[in-house]
Amino acid sequence: MNGALEATLRAVGGPLVAVGRHVFDIYSVFAQVVTALLKGAVRWREVFRQAYLIGNRSLFFITVTLGFLGLISVYQVASQIQRILPDFTMMGPAFIQLMWREFAPTITGLMVATRVGSGIAAEIGSMVVTEQVDALRMCNADPVRYLIVPRTIASAVMLVMLTIYAVLVATLAGMALADVVFDVSPSTFVSLQLVSPRDVALGLVKAFSYGFWIPIVAGQAGLAASGGSAGVGWATTRAVVSSSFAVILLDFIISGIGYAVFNL
Amino acid sequence: MRRLLMAPLSSVGRSALGLAETIGGATLLFGRILRALIPPRFDRDETWRQLYGVGVKSYAIVVVTALFVGAIMVIQTAFYVRRTGATSLLGYGVGFTVFAEIGPILIGLMFSGRVGANTTAELGTMVVTEQVDALRALAIDPIRYLVVPRFVAMMIMMGLLMVLGDGFAIIGATLTADTLIGVDPSVLISSLLESHLLDEYLLGLGKALCFGVSISVLSCWFGLGVRGGATGVGRAVNNSVVANAAAIFFIDFVVGWLFPVGL
Amino acid sequence: MTAPVAIRCEDLGKRFDDAWVLRGVDLEVRRGEVLGVIGPGGHGKSVLLKCLAGLLTPDAGRVLVDGEDLARLGPLGLARVREQYGYVFQNYALFDFMSVRDNVAFPLRQQAHLPDAEIDARVAARLAEVGLAHALDLLPRELSGGMKKRVGLARATVGDPAIALYDDPSAGLDPVTSSKIFQLIARMHARRPDAATVVVSHDVDRMRAICDRYVMLERGRVVFVGAESALGDAPEVVAAFFGGAERAPTGGG
Repeated sequence: MNGALEATLRAVGGPLVAVGRHVFDIYSVFAQVVTALLKGAVRWREVFRQAYLIGNRSLFFITVTLGFLGLISVYQVASQIQRILPDFTMMGPAFIQLMWREFAPTITGLMVATRVGSGIAAEIGSMVVTEQVDALRMCNADPVRYLIVPRTIASAVMLVMLTIYAVLVATLAGMALADVVFDVSPSTFVSLQLVSPRDVALGLVKAFSYGFWIPIVAGQAGLAASGGSAGVGWATTRAVVSSSFAVILLDFIISGIGYAVFNL
Repeated sequence: MRRLLMAPLSSVGRSALGLAETIGGATLLFGRILRALIPPRFDRDETWRQLYGVGVKSYAIVVVTALFVGAIMVIQTAFYVRRTGATSLLGYGVGFTVFAEIGPILIGLMFSGRVGANTTAELGTMVVTEQVDALRALAIDPIRYLVVPRFVAMMIMMGLLMVLGDGFAIIGATLTADTLIGVDPSVLISSLLESHLLDEYLLGLGKALCFGVSISVLSCWFGLGVRGGATGVGRAVNNSVVANAAAIFFIDFVVGWLFPVGL
Repeated sequence: MTAPVAIRCEDLGKRFDDAWVLRGVDLEVRRGEVLGVIGPGGHGKSVLLKCLAGLLTPDAGRVLVDGEDLARLGPLGLARVREQYGYVFQNYALFDFMSVRDNVAFPLRQQAHLPDAEIDARVAARLAEVGLAHALDLLPRELSGGMKKRVGLARATVGDPAIALYDDPSAGLDPVTSSKIFQLIARMHARRPDAATVVVSHDVDRMRAICDRYVMLERGRVVFVGAESALGDAPEVVAAFFGGAERAPTGGG
């Protein structure tokens, strides 16, 4: 009886302890990043290089995913509207508003977490197993400050840019579908009458936060890599899940605060 | 300047070429999997092991993700409900988005990140360490022994996880509605039940099964195609999650287009 | 009169999960000496070196550098102590996104506040000394194993460190290149005769030419410390390692 209880506790507690340690490690990287930013020790040339890489890696990917998301969302919503009230005038404005508030930043964030987060973990993880991170330490170059800080700035700024681009792509795709399938003219569809600066601000705050946290979560996974090339593989997979989940968690926190505090 | 202009173009071109190769290769692999399934000739024990392994790896992240997805959707819907005052629409809004659209997509993305990436890393490591060649040398077909059990396991598990995820998303939505929005759980649940969302629910389930198929085929394809040793595995994992995410959105579109709900 | 102690280990222990890789290691590295760390592969030599540099934190005992406990120094103190160090890594650990020139200049740029012209001159001189004057602008992936090793050596010693650590400097190299690497280690030591140098290797033949004293590790424990002349009193495994190495060098790392 006791044995069964102990086994159960161990099965439940083991992963919980692991998750707790993981969260603590991520938090400590976050604290180091903030310290470095406050001290202003930033390698701007590297920030620009990383921003270029992030944009280049994600542009095609985001075009494809947000394009399809725009098509299918408009298709499904329009099908519903056609059934209940065949009045499409508010569909476009509401679609664009919801894209700004929620789907453009969050789906873009998830795509960057997948595309860029896994890349960061693989890159830093292989630097760990080839002792390059130890070499940085021996040269008194702090790995967090040297490797992760430039990526956080670059990815926060680029995620804001990519979110604006994502709204554009999704809107164009939705507009085309509404025009061809439901005969809604582009001028009716593309209207910003529901979009307030507050909606845009909410979306961009989300995008900025996702962008800031993805390299922290993924970079920590990379720094924790151990045990040769297989270790890099595991670090990469962990980075995808952890940074995607970070996006969802941040979405919940920011949406919740936005709703409860700022009436958003 | 010229390089700056050409880089995005050439990256699009490279992506398109890679896309063609991936689609072709994955389709061939899918065909070989189907041939092994009809009549069913594959390793049963390995399938059970995979089913167990896939479930253990992914249920926690799916449950937690679903809780938050329900919570986020109820907040977004409440934003519109607050303006119109139609509290009865809260259940409809949450149910529709979670069951039919966002639930399957997010659970699919998480599943691909957890299980798909893992499968690519696992098979890729087996290729690099010549274990797959060793199987061939023993006259064991890697497709039947390694790929088909994973295919069956991932498809079944994606369906089960979707049912589980829908449930937890509703729990997350109910908790958030109660604490943050001030809507009583019974109001949300009854408005959800009155919305008759069975079609949406089944559509989401169908999408999830299709995601299970695409995730298993693509991640096995990228895993078995690993070249170039250790760094090759990392690159393959990266490519695999990206291809899986793109496939999820594409399939979401195709299934949604073929089976329009509410018409 | 013995030279001052640069690094002292007291009852040092390190474990990974439940396996102790180092146990009860007591050791002194004196200024001006070249200490050879020998032993079979996988018996804790590299881990010991990383503990000496503060790259790994001991799970038991402590490591003192000039009398200061590395584990208690904090980031700034550790940074100050590390300015004395030069570390040659087993797998080169060259920064693969930097040219050879930038790799070697990196520690100078990070630590000393030297003018750029001065840094360039020192980097060029040091790379010429290791025979790589022609490779300044190549990237690490364009180099052979021996060249990478020499770049790693140039990077570690460009600041003429007071403590130089070499982790298996001849690993994976052919005999001729290995000899050259050991000659370079001797030359670097001669440039700064008061430096404390630690060389991890199982290449006993080549170590004879440069090492003053030896430490042998087996299963994470010290089984021998002393000069080769003291081998007569050493346990049989040690003598076998020294003797056996003459006939068939052991592999692994």
